[in-house]
Amino acid sequence: MSHQLFKVQSLLNLSFLALFLFSCIAGTAKSSDSHSGKHSRSDVKQGERYYKGLLPKASPNPSCVSCHYYKPADTINWNPASIEIAELYLNKSSEDLEEVLLSPFGKVMSVAHANIDVPQDQIQYVKAYMDNLAENGLPKDKPSFLKLLLFLLIGGVMTWALLDLIFFHKVKFKAIPILIILLALGYQLNMAYEAAVKLGRSDTYQPDQPIKFSHKVHAGDNKIDCMYCHHTADESKSANIPSTSLCMNCHIVVREGARSGKFEIKKLVEAYEEGRSIEWVRIHQLPDHVFFAHAQHVGAGKLDCAQCHGAVEEMHILKQENDLSMGWCLNCHRETKVDFEDNEYYQMFDEFHKELSEGTRDSIMASDIGANECSKCHY
Amino acid sequence: MSEENKYWHILDEFEPVEDARTKETLDVPVDASSRRNFLKLLGLGTASAELIASCKRPVEKAIPYFIKPEEISPGKAAYYASSYFNQNEFSSVLVKVRDNRPIKLEPNPKSVINPSGTSGKVQASVLDVYNVNRFNHPTKSGEKIDWATADQEIVTQLRELANQGDNIILVTPTIISPSTQKLIAEFCTEFNAEWQVYDAIAMDGYREANRRVYGNAVLPEYHFDKAECIVSIGCDFLGTWLSPVEFSAQYAKRRDLRKGTHDLNRHYQVEAGMSLTGSNADIRIRADKNEYGRVVTYIYNHLAAKNGLPFIESKPPTAELAENLSGLLSDLVENKGKALVVCGDNNPEYQVIVNGINQMLKSNGTTITWNNNYNHFQGTEKSIDTILKENIGAIVLWDVNPVYNHPSADKVKAAIEKAKLSVTLSSLPDETSDLCDYVLPSPSFMESWDDAEYKKGVVSVLQPTLHKLFDVRQAQETLLSWLGNDTVWREYIKNNWLANYYLLQTTTLDKDRFWVNVVRSGEFVYDVKSTLLTYNFDEVKKALVTVSKEKVVDGFVIELVENINIGTGHGALNPWLQECPDPVTRIAWDNYASIAPSIARQMGIKNGDVIKVGALTIPAFVQPGQADHTVSVAVGYGRTIGIPKELVTGVNAYPLSLIQNGFRLNSVVGVSIEKTGEFEKLPLVQGHQSQEGRPLAREATLKEWKHDHHAGNEMHEVAEHHATSLYPGHEYKGHKWAMAIDLSKCTGCSACVLACNTENNIPVVGKKEVLAVHEMAWIRIDRYYSGEEDNPEVVRQPVMCQHCDNAPCENVCPVAATNHSSEGLNQMAYNRCIGTRYCNNNCPYKVRRFNWLDYTGADSIPNNRYDPANLTVDLSRMRHNPDVTVRAKGVIEKCSFCVQRIQEKKLNAKLEGRQLYDGELQSACQQACSLNAIVFGDVNNPESEVAQMMKDPRNYHLLEEIHTLPSVGYLTKIRNIS
Repeated sequence: MSHQLFKVQSLLNLSFLALFLFSCIAGTAKSSDSHSGKHSRSDVKQGERYYKGLLPKASPNPSCVSCHYYKPADTINWNPASIEIAELYLNKSSEDLEEVLLSPFGKVMSVAHANIDVPQDQIQYVKAYMDNLAENGLPKDKPSFLKLLLFLLIGGVMTWALLDLIFFHKVKFKAIPILIILLALGYQLNMAYEAAVKLGRSDTYQPDQPIKFSHKVHAGDNKIDCMYCHHTADESKSANIPSTSLCMNCHIVVREGARSGKFEIKKLVEAYEEGRSIEWVRIHQLPDHVFFAHAQHVGAGKLDCAQCHGAVEEMHILKQENDLSMGWCLNCHRETKVDFEDNEYYQMFDEFHKELSEGTRDSIMASDIGANECSKCHY
Repeated sequence: MSEENKYWHILDEFEPVEDARTKETLDVPVDASSRRNFLKLLGLGTASAELIASCKRPVEKAIPYFIKPEEISPGKAAYYASSYFNQNEFSSVLVKVRDNRPIKLEPNPKSVINPSGTSGKVQASVLDVYNVNRFNHPTKSGEKIDWATADQEIVTQLRELANQGDNIILVTPTIISPSTQKLIAEFCTEFNAEWQVYDAIAMDGYREANRRVYGNAVLPEYHFDKAECIVSIGCDFLGTWLSPVEFSAQYAKRRDLRKGTHDLNRHYQVEAGMSLTGSNADIRIRADKNEYGRVVTYIYNHLAAKNGLPFIESKPPTAELAENLSGLLSDLVENKGKALVVCGDNNPEYQVIVNGINQMLKSNGTTITWNNNYNHFQGTEKSIDTILKENIGAIVLWDVNPVYNHPSADKVKAAIEKAKLSVTLSSLPDETSDLCDYVLPSPSFMESWDDAEYKKGVVSVLQPTLHKLFDVRQAQETLLSWLGNDTVWREYIKNNWLANYYLLQTTTLDKDRFWVNVVRSGEFVYDVKSTLLTYNFDEVKKALVTVSKEKVVDGFVIELVENINIGTGHGALNPWLQECPDPVTRIAWDNYASIAPSIARQMGIKNGDVIKVGALTIPAFVQPGQADHTVSVAVGYGRTIGIPKELVTGVNAYPLSLIQNGFRLNSVVGVSIEKTGEFEKLPLVQGHQSQEGRPLAREATLKEWKHDHHAGNEMHEVAEHHATSLYPGHEYKGHKWAMAIDLSKCTGCSACVLACNTENNIPVVGKKEVLAVHEMAWIRIDRYYSGEEDNPEVVRQPVMCQHCDNAPCENVCPVAATNHSSEGLNQMAYNRCIGTRYCNNNCPYKVRRFNWLDYTGADSIPNNRYDPANLTVDLSRMRHNPDVTVRAKGVIEKCSFCVQRIQEKKLNAKLEGRQLYDGELQSACQQACSLNAIVFGDVNNPESEVAQMMKDPRNYHLLEEIHTLPSVGYLTKIRNIS
């Protein structure tokens, strides 16, 4: 038994080691290849230094990166990200870039770029850097191997204890290596369990969207009703993601944001003019074997959107509030009262009505009428 | 009960000795032990990989509409009225569209033709749309070509040929579209072309007989619901003859002991091979196919003698047959004016005599009317004569396949090859299109605009419910383009309607509104003036003389029949239809020669022994009730082109059909049977299902029932009386779903099976897996024989999950994947199932199905896939109902009582703040049943139909003595025999 355990353990450790080494090698291979042929390496480097404000002496201008991040962060950055500008100007000349930089359009940009003066040669370098960025994409985030290292370390300790127990006998008391093995194994199992529970769940998921669409601006500041855009939430399974044409109901007039300026809304207008849909990144997603109907919850159950989606009106970047796990669904069903009096449909539950009128029961929960049964969601 | 011992099953003596599960059928492409190891490692690997935390969830896109159409909401179905017409099969339908994909056809309740129910073929036609073998662009000699060039080349050639005076022939199947007819006429005038109509199954003999006797070459309307006595001579009117769905509905009206009068109609069937209709007859009389002529003459003469009319002396049928016919004759005489005689033979002489019989019975005006005549089956032999007779300049073929389904296929082939120009307008490759120079493919009917006048006075519209999937063009658009007419085809139809039908109504004045209304409702009905009939007795006399001179030829007769699902051969391309077993023999995926038990015994033939019969080499099947000297073979099999290799099955029987006096007869006389010594296992889905002395399918005669409504069902009270349980029962405080099936009405047509397939994403497993007893259908229609082996009585019983209140499966599931709901459903959570199959072993009804292999592509391990019918590619996956999980390998599945429909309808009621009303919620099987044999509903609602049926004295439950308390009830079959 212990031999087998040892075999599995070492196999596992070896495979992790291999995986780790492979990702490191793959990572380096990628980064060494990030230079394009269009501009010389020094131009790109110089442009990057200028963009990031790494200059030998203090510049009167703020660095580009102080406003134009690589990409939107957790907190919203209303300015276009560097990658977006880079992609937009990839097939344009540095004169075009210069023109828009020095003679900005739109209210927001005019204010932000008011006192900016960049020498022409620097613009060329920045353009070189940006072209390089657009062609090669953003530098990849290096994956965090902390957990893996911990896992391996514990594995190593365990292996040592096992070897000691069987071959070396360096530790006087046998109980110590056994205790170490048990603890280490327990810790590893716990790590695996936690990881397994999280599989397929994505609470706090908050991806970047192709347009910096802010629910706070729309639902919070401007108080647009959820059902204006998600207008099938009370009648269909899907709540409906608004079509480009629906966005244009307002944006046919609203062409500049108070903070985002023209850049973001222009993406929408362009999509509209080209007859395209916006390809949003999907956030809330249930597995295929779950049949969830918005209509049941919003239309029949009269739930508030926020109950599942959180305070969307306060989110600039939309985030998944709840883990949407089965346990979370069932809990809510146990705690949610059914509107037994007003909806004619529930008249057929004679016995429950009797119990209610007799006072033996003060309310009917969703789970009482079968909301927690398998085939309510799985069929 | 007295009946219980007389049921028997397939004649065991004719079963081959060797085990059904030979090595080949079991060689599945998976090594079980390595898979387990792989799964273990995979499980470990996934959990560990997640540990690394750098593992990110894949980014999924959510892409909305650009402009959202008003009537389409994601997650919600839209329904469009349309029609189905293919190979003489018509149905008025509602197309269910989810997210722009048609996924199901449902009967159009506003239709005057088939308001309730469709055929199985219509249900399965969804799969035809997503057929991977469809042509997807025009070709010239196999090379891709663009439409403009093809049009230009063809038109130039057509004009040249027309100028030279060469023949231009357009061959189509029956076209019932008034607008298309008009267009074809225009085409013919422009190019001096000739239009020929060719059908694989001919009914021109009927039209000819009606022309001779009544001067009216039409197919009249039959009213089976108005007949007290139906006599059918080899006519499968419930399965394949003329308009079976309509006739089934009419038939069922007179088989209803709950709503209708208590006097059932009496149905006599005189036939050779056991047909679906014959197996449902009250009294089935066995007669060889070559005796049909003598039978009709005998009936005629008898009636004529009774009526004092002249008759022709002729040789009577055998003494035994004459004796069997005596009851029939006296019933006919008794029911004059309320009787109907039909004959299923295309021989015009027989039909003339049948007309004479119906004339004497005064059927015209009551059970046969001549107003709303049928427009289909217009094909004649003349079409093939034209092709063969002359040197063809150009031939344009549209959805016809004579190279496969005509006896002179070789000559037709040569003629097409010799033609200077040959063009096909079909949507699917077939044996005929393979020969054509140009292939100008048309889309499926769900991508097309069209209209249809199936019956005179009822005009329907077909509208597209799917964007064209490929670079294809409707045949009508092609003709318009050749004519240089740039009208859009839809506008052409509309203009034709406004010019003709708009004037026939007064309700809507606005022309556009009229058109929109018609498209929305699907049908337009106008009055047809009745025609006066003049009866020509001389013709009847002539026919009697001709038939009486018929020579008796020794040897066997081969009778060509249509399988209810495969039809003329179109169904062979559809894996759902192939996998749905024949309702009589219960064989899927193959055709065979049905022979009588006595002959089989004489010659030592067992099921599956390959025999040589006439020109065919085909496995034999011993069919109880088969006439001794008739061998029945189904046409439609043996297709080779346009079909995946795995679906090529059976033998083409069309070459056997006989052309006599210009009419196609589906029989050939004077053949012999020879054993070849070969053996081919038949995919029989009902191997051993003897009732084992238990009253599973109960029955009684009408007389017994009138005396005591519990007749045949005495067991029920006993079972109820003794029932007791240690377990506390379930409480149903809200709904309690239940189903009742009236065995008196069920004919076994299998429309329910195919509707269930479509609705519930049931996989196709293929012939090899059917042989390994792995078929997946959630409904099976058991068929039991009783009585004489020569002419048994048949009873059918559809069996699906019984949703027992005391379910044996629920107790044994180690992971509680199957359990009971508060609404009486036996729920099955696929994602919880680990595949122990304990439930399957413990189910007394054997209705649970196990996914032995990954038939659907839902499995995450690609090597597990087993998909002989090519149904896991993206195109065919579009057929899936998004409301039902596509099951992966290793899980059990079974009937869910269409829980997705229950959920949907309940939600609709809640949203509208009203109670669910009875009949609103229909299961897919119930919806497809044109006979209303299946009723689904809430038994907790005492007013509901199903609750009423559960209280009927005829109601019982399957194996009720073991106290499983099923939610499915059966009503005993009542036969109207004296």
